Amino acid sequence: MSHQLSRRSLLHGGAVLAGASLLGGCGGAGSGADVSYWAAFPSKPTEKYFREHYVDAFNKTSDSAQVSMSVKQLTNLAQLTDTAVSAGRAPDIVYSPGPSAVAGYAKSFKIRELGDYASDFKWKDALLPWAYQLSQVDNKIFSVPTSYGSMVLYYNPATFEKYGWEPPTTKQEFEDLCADAKSEGLIPVGAGNSGYKAQTEWYLTAFLNMAVGPNRLYEVLTSSRDFDDEAIVDAVSLMKSQMDKGWWGGGTKDYFTTTDPDVLTGLAKGDVAMYISGTWSFGSIATFFGKDAGNDADWDWAPLPSLSSDVDPGVFPLAIGTSLALSADEKKGDGAVAFLDFLINDPGRALGYLAATGENPPPIKVESGDFPDDTDKRSERLYNAIPKSTNLGYTSWTFLPPRSNSFFYEEFDKVITGDLPPKEYCSGLAGQFTQETGEGVVPNAFTPEAD
Amino acid sequence: MTLPALGTRPAPRRRTARASRGRRLAGLLFLLPLFTVNILVIAGPAVMSVFYSFTDWDGLNAPGFVGLDNYVRLAGDDSFRTALRNNLLWTVFFLTVPMGMGLLGAYLLTRIRRGQLLFRLLFFVPYVVATVVSASIWRQLLNPSVGIGGVLGDFGVPWAADINALGDGDLALGAIALINNWQWWGFLMLLFLAAMRSVDPSLYEAARLDGAGRWREFWHITLPGIRPTFVFLFLMTIIWSFLVFDYVYILTQGGPGGATEVLSTLLYRSAFTEQQAGYGSAIGVVLALISATAVTGYLVLRRRAGWDV
Repeated sequence: MSHQLSRRSLLHGGAVLAGASLLGGCGGAGSGADVSYWAAFPSKPTEKYFREHYVDAFNKTSDSAQVSMSVKQLTNLAQLTDTAVSAGRAPDIVYSPGPSAVAGYAKSFKIRELGDYASDFKWKDALLPWAYQLSQVDNKIFSVPTSYGSMVLYYNPATFEKYGWEPPTTKQEFEDLCADAKSEGLIPVGAGNSGYKAQTEWYLTAFLNMAVGPNRLYEVLTSSRDFDDEAIVDAVSLMKSQMDKGWWGGGTKDYFTTTDPDVLTGLAKGDVAMYISGTWSFGSIATFFGKDAGNDADWDWAPLPSLSSDVDPGVFPLAIGTSLALSADEKKGDGAVAFLDFLINDPGRALGYLAATGENPPPIKVESGDFPDDTDKRSERLYNAIPKSTNLGYTSWTFLPPRSNSFFYEEFDKVITGDLPPKEYCSGLAGQFTQETGEGVVPNAFTPEAD
Repeated sequence: MTLPALGTRPAPRRRTARASRGRRLAGLLFLLPLFTVNILVIAGPAVMSVFYSFTDWDGLNAPGFVGLDNYVRLAGDDSFRTALRNNLLWTVFFLTVPMGMGLLGAYLLTRIRRGQLLFRLLFFVPYVVATVVSASIWRQLLNPSVGIGGVLGDFGVPWAADINALGDGDLALGAIALINNWQWWGFLMLLFLAAMRSVDPSLYEAARLDGAGRWREFWHITLPGIRPTFVFLFLMTIIWSFLVFDYVYILTQGGPGGATEVLSTLLYRSAFTEQQAGYGSAIGVVLALISATAVTGYLVLRRRAGWDV
């Protein structure tokens, strides 16, 4: 159970995470610290590294503010923050599990606009263009993204070598591999949502990017196409048919009792052929592979295959795991923003964190030579590839507003069980999304570059 | 005969009255902290929940009054209907299986002298195990690969390995109820046992002299003798059944596909995941009304039938 961390938890825990301080009068500013900040980490070594290299390092160099970090649980940091923000007792630096939550805070005037600071600190130059765009609400910047990742296809090279497989790039290759793996007694694609219900959206979001592609998804996210578009309904139906064949998670029933650690264990043992998951696992996957896990298994990743002739192979559905903003009640703007800038303004520091902990870095512009020598080559390959790729996609938890996002995975479970036809599912999602579009809480999707 | 002088006798009465007022005041003062806490953490939030149930509050922005919209929406919400049906099934199960097991267990334990303490301990131990621990243990036990089914499958019972109780929408709610019952029935048994011990033994002796069998003893002496406890636990079981959350949330989070959704998990999802605190409050108000109905029913029974706790 200790490894059963949610996707959000892991992604949130990635990299720079959220802010600290105790609830209002329980600490934070009241305890003498200048800037209160709540954070959560997937492990003690990661927390120690972050404290030394970010918090302590900032405090040593800063005359304008001293940051006080209070560590919370990964699993409930978002909810703690929601409650504190709602009660008007948020820490000075407000954590959000991505732009979707930021939009809600911004619309309710719980956080401050950072436009002037963004200009002063030249964040537009520092951040990857899509990340800068995504940090805006109504064309004004309200947050700083401090960790990002993508969905990728994990596999065990030894298993692939044993059966003579190559990472699939097309629909035909993917289906051939799944059929072959099934006939060999393996689970073709590890999947399950036991312990974390929202895990379903990892697979569905990857599937839509593979089968529908970034261009169409962008049209949906910007309301020029609906979620009940034929292409989306066909993709959902295709995924349902693959699940019925037992390709995903070994079948419907097993799907609901399989956990993320179960899949990674199966991947290491050679019982699972592939696993489509997020790069937040880079920081914890060593628990299941190699020396730490007591085996000699290894892992690697490949870009996602295409499941449609209209989609280029190798799409990277992007996700921001942590966005940080300033509380509307915060009184030390300059100092607090200086810390936000400290988190993203130095590629060397960010990549050092990646090398030391495996945690996802902020979406900033880096050069190949910026990576420390001890960086895991798989991580380096990913974070070299994404900035160069024009095939960038969209994850549901980053680009959908809260209610649509909940509908996205909650109701898809009913599609899996056969209680809800794909067409009805898509119509329901379209209705929910239209409603939230009207409320103006849909995150600002970047324009795709893919053909 | 000497009459007491006027004005001499009332003095002690005044002192008594003053003392009585003082005692009442002291009592009220002692009650004040608890009353204050009650207002702050129970009555206050309860009133606020009723208020929010008539609003579109999202937890962040100022709530806007929407009248009965949330309640109208509840009536047409499939998830709500499923959750309500599951709560009703849960209630029926817990009013029969654990209550029956508790009664039977307690009655049988009153019949034995040696080893009673051991059995009481054995039956009660699951109750003190943390919910998250017992849920995790049972999740492993019911896992079709490594649990009981998997082991039976290895020993030549292949169909057992195909049963995935928590992954099958038709079985999941029952499986969770059985797991919860494993922890719960021992507690009921202990309460029933304590009540049965207070029944006058001479009644049983008289019944035996009249030739009554075990069943007649149980039906005509034991059950009426423990009626206050029985009725209280019956009432509380109804209330607790509608508040069930922990096992469902830990084991399935309402899945697969909403098959184990109950009102409290739906409330939690609405209020905290979907940021519909107003709608979640309406679900909470419905839950409170169900409990209030159960309590009212009990009070009516108590008044009309003279039952007492």
